[in-house]
Amino acid sequence: MNWRDYQRKQRVVELGNRFISYVDEGQGEPVVLLHGIPTWGYLWSGLLPALALTHRVLIPDLLGFGYSDKREGFERSITRQAEAMDAWMDRLEVEDAVVVGHDIGGGVAQHLAVRFPRRVSKLCLMNSVCFDAWPVELMVQLGHPGVVRKLSAQMVQRMLKAGLRRAGFESAPPEGLVEGLVEPYATEAGKTSLVRDAAALDTNQTQELVPRLRHLAVPTCILWGVEDLFLPVRYGERLAWEIPGARLARVEGAKHFLMWDQPHAVMTELFEFLGVEGRPELAGLEAAEVSREVITYESYTPGPG
Amino acid sequence: MAGKPKQVSEREASGGVERVLYEMRQTLRVTGLDVAARTWAGFERFVVAMWEAMGPNAETRAFESAADEVRAEAVEAVVRLGRLGAWDAVDLGESQRYHLKGALELHHYLQPKMLVFISAVKQALWGQPVGRLQPMGSAERIERGAPARMMELEWVSERPDDARLRSLFKDILKTVGPPSLPGDFRALALWPEYLEAAWERLKPAMAREEWKRACVGLLNTSRRLSLDLPYEVALSRERLEVLHEKVDTLLRVTEQFERRQPSLVLGMAWLVCDVPELERRVPFPAEARLVPDYVVAEELR
Repeated sequence: MNWRDYQRKQRVVELGNRFISYVDEGQGEPVVLLHGIPTWGYLWSGLLPALALTHRVLIPDLLGFGYSDKREGFERSITRQAEAMDAWMDRLEVEDAVVVGHDIGGGVAQHLAVRFPRRVSKLCLMNSVCFDAWPVELMVQLGHPGVVRKLSAQMVQRMLKAGLRRAGFESAPPEGLVEGLVEPYATEAGKTSLVRDAAALDTNQTQELVPRLRHLAVPTCILWGVEDLFLPVRYGERLAWEIPGARLARVEGAKHFLMWDQPHAVMTELFEFLGVEGRPELAGLEAAEVSREVITYESYTPGPG
Repeated sequence: MAGKPKQVSEREASGGVERVLYEMRQTLRVTGLDVAARTWAGFERFVVAMWEAMGPNAETRAFESAADEVRAEAVEAVVRLGRLGAWDAVDLGESQRYHLKGALELHHYLQPKMLVFISAVKQALWGQPVGRLQPMGSAERIERGAPARMMELEWVSERPDDARLRSLFKDILKTVGPPSLPGDFRALALWPEYLEAAWERLKPAMAREEWKRACVGLLNTSRRLSLDLPYEVALSRERLEVLHEKVDTLLRVTEQFERRQPSLVLGMAWLVCDVPELERRVPFPAEARLVPDYVVAEELR
């Protein structure tokens, strides 16, 4: 699915003076998929067809991202994003959902689980920001307010594409994927919004959650591409240790964008976590076997050192 | 033939030009400025002097009402042309249509304001007495800043990678005339299939006699209203010479902007009238500017 076809699926809902674009497909138990930075809902386009066979799949663009509101005049931290997601679910009359978050979407998911626990029936974190593992260098640079003046949208596009290609994927991403992931930021207004998003990244907002993670009472699954250069797997292990009963699946042969590097492995784990009986057709995904190792355990035993 | 004058965005500008572009955006109550302002910004001394002369007018109710009158005339004219049919001709998603509506509203608000603005500048440069000799600060002012629900002004590069868009842009520029591709078409290019459908219908209409007559009517209205702005616009050819600006180039591009602007206003009005439930006459009503008396007193001092 190219980004324009995905964008065509998006609906829109207004929340006060702001608006959120989102995809709503399939029927059944709701699953909310939250993207990270510098992407948008299109990140999940590979998993959407298979997931929508068994679930109602809801994919919002976070405020300031993708085709949601990118104007000035609001705060974009993950704490505010969690509040916006709560209001958005309210508006859609979605009482609760399985919440899946990648990168800063994982940070938003953690805040939802801690602060709005009734919204989260199950929690799945994929190469998520956590503790003091973030923001990564590329985003710190991007978040400098001077970037708005110093770099054109084209320059930022080149920087993002190169950064994602170099460090985001273990194998070559499908043609057009990287371009599609950063397309909403190709205009000057889009670039400015992304800089504001990057400027809002704040490690304190996951650090403040640490004492509360161990009180989470929600079934939790952590999927981690073990080759991730941005967020090393040891942070996934720490999350699994902190959240009671969390299950960690280490996905071999995957970097940050594990859902593109190893879609079969990710879908298999996700379906198991969702309690889908049997194995539905993984529509739209590569059918070839993937090289992966999944380790599931109830508690974390730190290695030497 | 002289080359195309370069455009300067607020991001690229510095010093006095940056200040003027910021002030223009706030005063005109929009999220971004169109190509006329960006082109004038390439002439640093001119743009500062131009804003000194035009700024006090641009923030008045009289200026806003003049633009509203031009817009209303454009809407009346296109209603007579019948239905455009571009909106329903393309397969867009709900969110895409939401964004597109926002872009249409923004340009439908901005284009008539720019027509009145350009008419005032052009007539002053051609030696017409623009503006009444009203005491500064006596006219009602409107609020500053873009309305909260106005979309960001976004557009694609004038030289896009997409060959289909490049060819469309070439045709548009050839039809509407120089000096450069209008911003509203660059904005609509964010939805290439919509731009294609719109242009397919607009282009033949622009060649019709009734279109040309409507354009003349809009230009006359705009010139008449701009002459009647509250404050004198102290600009002239002689002033440009004193400023050591490129007089001929400035006069040429300003004249080109004024010549094609009515057609852009009309085109945008037709696109807006093609969309159900879009406000046609006053898309972003402006409240009076309420400031404490001591601020006003300070500004008048």
